[in-house]
Amino acid sequence: MTVTITEAGNTNKLELTTSPHLHNQWTTKKVMWMVVAALAPSLLAAVLFFGIYQLLIITTAVVFAVGTEYAIQTVRKQKLSVVDGSAALTGLLLALTLPPNFSLSSTAIGSIVAIGLGKQIFGGLGYNIFNPALVGRAFLQAAFPVAITTWSTNKFAVDSVTSATPLAAFKFDRITAGLSEMFLGSTGGSLGETSALAILIGGIFLIAVGIVNWRIPFSMIIGMIVFGAIFNFIDPVKYPAPLFHLFAGGFLFAAFFMATDWVTSPVTNKGMWIFGFGISFVLIVIRLFGGLPEGVMYSILFMNAFVPIINRVTIPKIFGSVKGAAA
Amino acid sequence: MVKQVPLSKEFLKGLWEQNPIFKQVLGMCPTLAVTVSAINGIAMALATTFVLVTASLLISTIRKLIPNQVRIAAYIVIIATFVTIVDLVMKAKFPELSKALGPFIPLIVVNCIILGRQEAFASKNTPFRALLDALGMGAGFFIALVSLGGIREIIGSRTFLGIQILPDAFEPWLIMILPAGAFLTLGLMLGFANMYTDRKKRIEKESLIEQYKRVSKVEISMAQEGI
Amino acid sequence: MNNVVKMILTLSIIGVVSGGLLSRIDNWADPLIAANQKAQTEEAIFKVQPEAQNYEPVNIAGIEAYKVSDASNNPLGYSLVYSGNGFQGKIRLMIGLTSDLEKITALEILEQVETPGLGTKVTEDPFRNQFKGLETLPQINWVKGINPSHPNEIQAITGATISSKAVVAIMNVGILKMRKLQKEGKI
Repeated sequence: MTVTITEAGNTNKLELTTSPHLHNQWTTKKVMWMVVAALAPSLLAAVLFFGIYQLLIITTAVVFAVGTEYAIQTVRKQKLSVVDGSAALTGLLLALTLPPNFSLSSTAIGSIVAIGLGKQIFGGLGYNIFNPALVGRAFLQAAFPVAITTWSTNKFAVDSVTSATPLAAFKFDRITAGLSEMFLGSTGGSLGETSALAILIGGIFLIAVGIVNWRIPFSMIIGMIVFGAIFNFIDPVKYPAPLFHLFAGGFLFAAFFMATDWVTSPVTNKGMWIFGFGISFVLIVIRLFGGLPEGVMYSILFMNAFVPIINRVTIPKIFGSVKGAAA
Repeated sequence: MVKQVPLSKEFLKGLWEQNPIFKQVLGMCPTLAVTVSAINGIAMALATTFVLVTASLLISTIRKLIPNQVRIAAYIVIIATFVTIVDLVMKAKFPELSKALGPFIPLIVVNCIILGRQEAFASKNTPFRALLDALGMGAGFFIALVSLGGIREIIGSRTFLGIQILPDAFEPWLIMILPAGAFLTLGLMLGFANMYTDRKKRIEKESLIEQYKRVSKVEISMAQEGI
Repeated sequence: MNNVVKMILTLSIIGVVSGGLLSRIDNWADPLIAANQKAQTEEAIFKVQPEAQNYEPVNIAGIEAYKVSDASNNPLGYSLVYSGNGFQGKIRLMIGLTSDLEKITALEILEQVETPGLGTKVTEDPFRNQFKGLETLPQINWVKGINPSHPNEIQAITGATISSKAVVAIMNVGILKMRKLQKEGKI
């Protein structure tokens, strides 16, 4: 989330990266709709792989997220911020982390929790500590553990018998899915996470237009490859190859769309590196040694909690200041 | 020192105004841990109330005999005695309930509601007032635990006191009977309780200001008329 | 000095009174508690060996075991208590085994702290009934999502694979131990 301040007609003379100053060309509204646009390939992939019903899940999630925000802000007599699209985006992100053919009433509960407990209870946009979409997802995981790990078969799946996600297949049955399948997305999994290709198109678009800082996804990917390679080197039978980790589960989706959330990620460059590596490390520990096959949601929520500390210890030195001198 | 507080107040204050859970936020460990169902909440509240009432009564009776320096030690021994009695009776007569409440019965010894009431109230008041106070606090604890356990049981397993009240079509939210559900429910309940108190305070303040304005208006008009 | 004496005296009196009271209550409660525990164990022993009429505890190294027999004292098999790690904590269970250790008569879960609503399904009938008449040779296996096709297979609970696996693992380890002891002629 690099934010640059540029005087009109004066390109990049002054670049500050520490505080969350908004670039004057970016309004919250514009950014949110850009992210929605970047999610379009993943949305298409979800409908293509799992059927038209998935549009209902997505619509339900968005409608209830926006509705909850509207209701809470009306009750608390606050200025309505529904039009800025942030609630809609939260709903959309939540829907893309849900399994195909998930029940609509549970989706609605997830959206209400995401906005109500994940965002508005802290005071609204900009005040929340944890990524709201992931709070909603975590609530659903704890409330309906069976439904949320019931995966429908991908329409393009090579092996049509198994609908398990590549991670679950590896964890419980030691079956490794093919890399090309995982890259294109013809495996089991949540709506938006199966196709690495669709995620990369959207993610690179966001980096190119400058909404997402490349450091967080990049450090997460580097971290995953390094940690994955270390364990793969120790025991190739027990621990899968680093590329498998990269394309399996929700890792890439989370790297580009979840971890990069402006509000809940560090603001300093150094902090972003720490944040990204931290997520990868927690994730690999959960995936290899935990009870659950996937843990990218928990690892991001876990690192979200450290963001204030990371920000504090990575404050860049003020130019010209002397160590130890009074400010 | 003459007490001005009416006797009814000694009992009623524990229900809401100084409710041990919602207002004093004491005794969180048993509150969060055992309230997976309403019946657990009832058993825990009754056990705690029994210990609270007997300990308060005894301690306020012998309050003048206990030297100040060893009062905490004396209170703890007395409380621990009653807790052990409850524990043994439950194990002997209600083994199922004792199993469900697990290690939380012995932990009543260190429940801060009990020690707090001895130190803050029973050691300074007559046995009758201490009894009313303990009953009030116990009732407040009971209300909090049963409502918390009831909400968690209804949403988490569709039942209330073991009887199914929500239809099968409602998929139970398992999170409500997990520890996370305890924190979420209690947090939201505390939030709403505070909201209610704040609103009441604000309305009181506004009506007081109104009243003052009216009074001063009358005074001014009286002054103008030269009375 | 006077104050110190008063302090010691007060605490001593409280201690003695409380100790005396507790010992009286314990005298009353202790046999009742022991009876409760015995009744619970007995109930479980006969639940896992439905045809049994008598039982006697046997002394086997490290295993809580009961030899059961029918009304005319013909040995039927064993009721065995095993424990091991589940998903979140210890699982303690009792199984009934035939004398040749080749068939399970039934399973009871005595203690568990699994996830409510999920892992706790191991205590419910649909899961436990799968073990009735299950063969233990060469060992108990579990399958997921499909119906068991072998006489030594059970189906794991959806969403609670780890708890199901843990129960099976505890039983396999325990049965193996018994088989080894039988080979050595110790039982």
